[in-house]
Amino acid sequence: MEAFSATTAVPRDLPAKELRRLSYVSLFWLAARECLRVGRLWSQTVVAPVVSSLLFVIVFGLSLGDRIRQVSGFEYSVFILPGLIAMAMFMAAYMNNSSSIFQARSDRYIDDILAAPMMPWQIDVGLTVGGVFRALMIGGVLTAVGAPLLGVPVEQPLALIVAALTAIMLFASLGVIVGIYAQTWDHHSFVSNLVIQPLAFVGGVFYSVDVLPSPWHELSHANPLFYIVDAVRYGFLGVSDVPIGISLAITGGLAALMFSWSVWLFRSGHKLKP
Amino acid sequence: MRASPASFPRPLARLVAVAIDGKASAAALEIIGLTKRYDDSTLALDSLDLTIPDGSFFGLLGPNGAGKTTLINSITGLVRVSSGSIRVFGHQALAEGPAVLAARRLVGLSPQDVNLDRFLTVYESLVYHGGYYGLPRPVAAQRAEEMIDVFDLRAKRDTRTPRLSGGMKRRLLLARALVHQPRLVILDEPTAGVDYELRLELWRYIRLLHERGTTILLTTHYLEEAEELCEQIALIRDGRVVALDSPTGLRDLYGADSLGEVYVKAVGARPDHVEVS
Repeated sequence: MEAFSATTAVPRDLPAKELRRLSYVSLFWLAARECLRVGRLWSQTVVAPVVSSLLFVIVFGLSLGDRIRQVSGFEYSVFILPGLIAMAMFMAAYMNNSSSIFQARSDRYIDDILAAPMMPWQIDVGLTVGGVFRALMIGGVLTAVGAPLLGVPVEQPLALIVAALTAIMLFASLGVIVGIYAQTWDHHSFVSNLVIQPLAFVGGVFYSVDVLPSPWHELSHANPLFYIVDAVRYGFLGVSDVPIGISLAITGGLAALMFSWSVWLFRSGHKLKP
Repeated sequence: MRASPASFPRPLARLVAVAIDGKASAAALEIIGLTKRYDDSTLALDSLDLTIPDGSFFGLLGPNGAGKTTLINSITGLVRVSSGSIRVFGHQALAEGPAVLAARRLVGLSPQDVNLDRFLTVYESLVYHGGYYGLPRPVAAQRAEEMIDVFDLRAKRDTRTPRLSGGMKRRLLLARALVHQPRLVILDEPTAGVDYELRLELWRYIRLLHERGTTILLTTHYLEEAEELCEQIALIRDGRVVALDSPTGLRDLYGADSLGEVYVKAVGARPDHVEVS
């Protein structure tokens, strides 16, 4: 082993302002690590969801679309693309964070993060960024490829951005929560396969809930994913089943609730620290 | 028999511990009344008091389940303590806000179990850890390269951590704990499961670190290791410090010929491993 080079130990005392500034540097590095993980697993994290969403477009939109009359005034392939993009984004945000955090807990390298000089909310945000980054990559690629291919417009870009970001935040935070509570890999797969995906399918990704008979029409309005899909579709196509304000308020409210829950977990150490 | 600080009432014990070292104003670590009761009602730490002077090489010995790792995890914020206070170089480590940030950045932990990030290479493990402790990228990169050379990890610089051998993982853990140049380094059984040659290497390195003024808190099952390295040793049992002194002082205190004998008398159990010199 070589000897140390001449180095100076970290200063004992720093002003509170400097300590806070340094904690933001820590937050940046944690976020960068989560994005690096997404990039390192790109074939699983980005390519696979993009390909599966495009397969949905090809199978349901292009192959079967001609047999389905227009929905809400749009070709079927045009109608389903916004919902597919929304579903791909929120599934990715959830899956990324639940698996990343569960892995970190399982291997205990989350201890290196929990012991670092960061505030609990900064650790939460840093870990959440990975899912947000992955979802935005997938949403960006699907929009860049699918929208010109199918002729899907972006009628309300501001509403689209707000809807996409709140939905991503909601599911990224849910992923953090499940990643913390999960005891086995099956737990986070259970939530995605038996909760999120079924709710997405019955939330209007492939159809307008306006065509459903009672009571399915009313029940659809109890499904939170319906509002997310509807808001993203409004951003693309400029049409929605419910007023955009209601969809954004519900999505935003749920996102705030999930984010608060995840911050509480880091603040209290519940399920993270014995 | 010499007086042991642990044999005094709590406030007096602190004063005695400080007086023994003579560095009253420079405690690297000051723990008062630390209690940890786990959810299953196990009492891991029972109103434990401990003061570690700045610049000292301090050993913590005790049988499995004595509370050593719980104590270390309490210092580093990895355990929710039930009550008590911990100060690291005067900064409150259990509250919230800037004081905790100040306390945490002064501590480096080499944990007992290997907990390396499986997605990162050796170099990235060090750089990102430096980043978590607030180092800007050029400084983190420079420190990472330095640690790679110091710990003979150059050939594995770009290897992902799961592909490292056990000895290399152990070296990387120690390197990671030092990237941000902490003033208090906590080594939780750093030589557990490593071969004799690497153990000597790690000893040499830890000594050098101490000579440069770093405070070391070492837990080990190897009594020879503690006797060889530590200036002061605390024996811990059932979550309490039962004896605290220099190795010589402990032998005198218990009228023992060896630290192993002290251990048996003080802790009431055979040490798990006794290295024969």
